[in-house]
Amino acid sequence: MRVTANMSADTSVYNIMQGRRRLDRLQELITSGQNVNRPSDDPISSRLLLDIGDKMKAFDQYNANIIKAKSWMQFSDTALSGMNDVLQQARSLMNTMTSGSSDPNERQNAHNQLVELKKQMIDMVNTQYGDQYIFGGADNLVPPFNTTDNTFAGDGTERQIEIASNTTQTISITGDRLLLGIGANPSYGTTNILQTFDDLIAAVGDATTPSDPAAITTAVQSLDPASRQIFNAINTNLSRMTRVDNMSKLNDINKNTLTDIVGNIQNVDMVKLGVQLNTEMNAFEASLSATAKLSRMSLLDFL
Amino acid sequence: MGLSAAMEIGKNGLNIYRVATEVTGENIANVNTPGYSRQRVLLETAPPTTANGFPMGTGVRIATVERYYDALLQQQLVNAATTLGYDTAKSNTLQQIEPAFNEIVNDGIGAAISKFFGSWQDLTVNPSGTAERQSVITNAQILTDNFQMISRTLDDSITMQNDSLVPLVDSINATLKDIAQLNGQIKTTELVAGNANETRDRRDQLIRDLSQKIGITFTENTDGTTDIKFADGGAALVTGETAGAFSLDKITDPNSFAVQLTPVGAVPPAVGVNPTTGQLGATLALRDTIIPAYQAQVDTLATTITTQVNTQHTAGFDLNGDPGIALFDPAATNAATFGLNPAIVNTTQIAASSSALLTGDNVNAQLITKLQSQKLMAGGTLTLNSYFDGLVSKIGLDVASSKNTVSQDEAFSKQLTSLRESNSGVSLDEELSNLIMYQRSYQASAKLITTATEMMDTVIGMIR
Repeated sequence: MRVTANMSADTSVYNIMQGRRRLDRLQELITSGQNVNRPSDDPISSRLLLDIGDKMKAFDQYNANIIKAKSWMQFSDTALSGMNDVLQQARSLMNTMTSGSSDPNERQNAHNQLVELKKQMIDMVNTQYGDQYIFGGADNLVPPFNTTDNTFAGDGTERQIEIASNTTQTISITGDRLLLGIGANPSYGTTNILQTFDDLIAAVGDATTPSDPAAITTAVQSLDPASRQIFNAINTNLSRMTRVDNMSKLNDINKNTLTDIVGNIQNVDMVKLGVQLNTEMNAFEASLSATAKLSRMSLLDFL
Repeated sequence: MGLSAAMEIGKNGLNIYRVATEVTGENIANVNTPGYSRQRVLLETAPPTTANGFPMGTGVRIATVERYYDALLQQQLVNAATTLGYDTAKSNTLQQIEPAFNEIVNDGIGAAISKFFGSWQDLTVNPSGTAERQSVITNAQILTDNFQMISRTLDDSITMQNDSLVPLVDSINATLKDIAQLNGQIKTTELVAGNANETRDRRDQLIRDLSQKIGITFTENTDGTTDIKFADGGAALVTGETAGAFSLDKITDPNSFAVQLTPVGAVPPAVGVNPTTGQLGATLALRDTIIPAYQAQVDTLATTITTQVNTQHTAGFDLNGDPGIALFDPAATNAATFGLNPAIVNTTQIAASSSALLTGDNVNAQLITKLQSQKLMAGGTLTLNSYFDGLVSKIGLDVASSKNTVSQDEAFSKQLTSLRESNSGVSLDEELSNLIMYQRSYQASAKLITTATEMMDTVIGMIR
């Protein structure tokens, strides 16, 4: 084949460009540390990376939901423990008043304490998280209970949130189930705790009204199931907290797995690239040097 | 005959080697001229005479000055240029679009969709919270911005392709006219004398340039002219010294010019043509098929989000207990018009509740978050996110394959160009050795004349 100086020059330029392109690609890989920097680098892996990216975003969102749900449930737990304490206080008070009292002062004192305990109970059930009443169900912008009557102003809908793909978790306990003992799925008991307090207050009597020992006995008997009812609620709440904790860990594990997959696809092998870079640089320098040497040669120099 | 014949041969030699040196000079001067084919002087013996009693040559003469030219190679170069023109134009434009869809490095529509539904998740935890409601509106706005950005990028790209038709068609027409004109010059020159080598080189170069822009077929005629036909349909573009012309119909659709052609000899009006090859074909394919297909997918995504979210949103109730209104503008028909419903002016209008009476209910918000994991796209086979991921992957695949094709085309063209250069390119070393050869011959011819002169002197001296 006849070879002209221009052909050599063209070939040199073409190959130098190819070499530059390969070096540029290696440089991009090394400096970015990523194998895929744009969809066209690897369309199939891109698809996988984007899909994993979407899933990881979802896991982050679920964990954000769980963090919020947990503080909600911690608020519930504090309030429920408080209610339990109130019931214990009522019980120890009634232990000293099993058959009432003939002393008007003592009766008035017990009466006042019971009224106060019921108020505390209502304060607890009206606990707010942010501007929401946590025991108010879906109608949570008004206090669920007031001190004048025992009607529930809230709603029996329990709040559910998503804690993993298509997995929801109930996070709220409603006031009617808790204190009035009505509602099902779940039911913590059937005792109307507020009514029990009213019964106790009425049975104990006051400075002017004598005690009714029979009514006291009946009302005190309701304190046990009342305690169990609160206890059930506490246990339900705790087991929910455990479940979301576990789910949060599971989400983290899943996310770590996905991060590993992304790492396998995306992380460049620096050692391999280093070796490649050396090889390419040698080849590139050789092509530059060959071009420089060969293009100097001409018959003109010898004429 | 006598001594004057020897002098005549010497004179011819001087003349001819001067011409040969001129041809070498022409070659050296054009060593870097694109499309130039090296020329050589073909020498032959002058007709013999029998004046001496036996046949004897009368020196040397120039048979022709011919150029090194391979018609088959020209054909292949033309075809390769058409493919390269198409693939390069396509690849360049696709590479300009790709960054808008580069979700791997930047957050785009995919991330915006996730964030939008994420804000609804946040709302399920606190359905009456103002901050959470504001976040839903803000993320809907971010989603709008992303859709409009992508839509604008694709629109701009289509407009750019359309606008580029004007200079492209102008340049094709100019080339056609030039080729026809050169055809005329070649014909006239060659009628008078020899080969119009340089003019042919220029015309062949123009044909190769033209073939990058449109697909052509060409035939070389005996009178030296070349006829050119349009590869898409076979209409005559150049016949002898007349050229046809392309034109653009800018009136029927000002945003999408139609390409028309007036072939050689046809009377206007121009007829519509549909070029599918070369740069012109690529420009039209990008404008009419490739980019609109991407756009259609983005539009489908935007309208599906609008319809689905709106349907669920209107099934719920807002913080005032009123039925929800459309969250996204229901008038939107594509990604460009996608946006928040202008009637949404207050955060209380976000319908998170499924009951008019219960403001703290989150059931409707939950149902809206579920839309993200539902397979709403592609006939119920893909979620919103995976549909978009698929589009990104498809664009990546298109860009990757067009880049590959271009580098293959370039390698092929390089090989053909090398072959052409090998055959027709000027080698300075070769020309220099020719130059020395011709110089020596010139000196020898001169010596012949001086020797003949001396002999003549001897004869004249004898007379004295």
